[in-house]
Amino acid sequence: MISKQDFPSINERAPEGLKGDGSAFKVLVVDDSMFVAKQIGQILTSEGYEVVATAADGLDGVEKYKELCPNVDLVTMDITMPKMDGITALEQIMAFDKNAKVVMISALGKEELVKKALLLGAKNYIVKPLDRKKVLERIASVLGR
Amino acid sequence: MRVEYINPFVEAAYNILTEVLGGEIRRGELYLKSTSIPVMGVAALVGLAGDVEGRVIFDMNLSTAMKIASRMNQEELATFDELAKATITELANLITAQAVTKLHDLGFRFDLTPPALFTGDNMEISDHEVEALIVPMETSQGRVEVNVAIRDRL
Repeated sequence: MISKQDFPSINERAPEGLKGDGSAFKVLVVDDSMFVAKQIGQILTSEGYEVVATAADGLDGVEKYKELCPNVDLVTMDITMPKMDGITALEQIMAFDKNAKVVMISALGKEELVKKALLLGAKNYIVKPLDRKKVLERIASVLGR
Repeated sequence: MRVEYINPFVEAAYNILTEVLGGEIRRGELYLKSTSIPVMGVAALVGLAGDVEGRVIFDMNLSTAMKIASRMNQEELATFDELAKATITELANLITAQAVTKLHDLGFRFDLTPPALFTGDNMEISDHEVEALIVPMETSQGRVEVNVAIRDRL
């Protein structure tokens, strides 16, 4: 009896969150909303990424990036946060590590801030409400997947 | 209160509730209130200041808030904890962001406060010298009222 295991599946693909050596891309999530941070984490981990840390404000985000570097491959950064906003945190991360890959998470209507972030070195942006497919596409494109 | 201020919030609430909750969203009969308004139990309040001033409240009872938060988190939440509160706050953020974009396209300029979440029994909201327009939205999770009190800046 021929079974499914007898044939290699042409539809299976490796999770996007895994590197060529099988280890996971490591992500730092910076967002003051527990809900949004959880949502991003769930989307990423479902595709094999590893969320190595979360930060609830830009200041903590910068400190965690500096502690984790070089063991962080990407940062998702909310724009509006207490203590330090995402634009300032982005500037400080880019000043610390010019190769940092930061993707901004933005509410609708923040186009000017998103443009500013891209000029400061952010690699891409995602507009809320978060769509799983778009989140994964944008992050994969930044990581060169 | 000008209808141009209300429609963006009603449309945004309909769009966002449809997107995040799925199911049918029905707009109920709207009504005006100029005196104190009882709050249903969970109210997210966003302040506006600029060309227009006032506030918008997204009001619902605790049961609806729990069901909405559970739906948005794709898991049953047992208590109205910090995650549930953050979820309702984010819902208010999403609706307001879309409404503000529409108002900016109409030429109005103003700033928003971060949503403040109020929870409790027997709360009332009173607005000084501005009427509130309440637009009920019926969702599968229960009623959400969009409560708008906005006026031209004096």
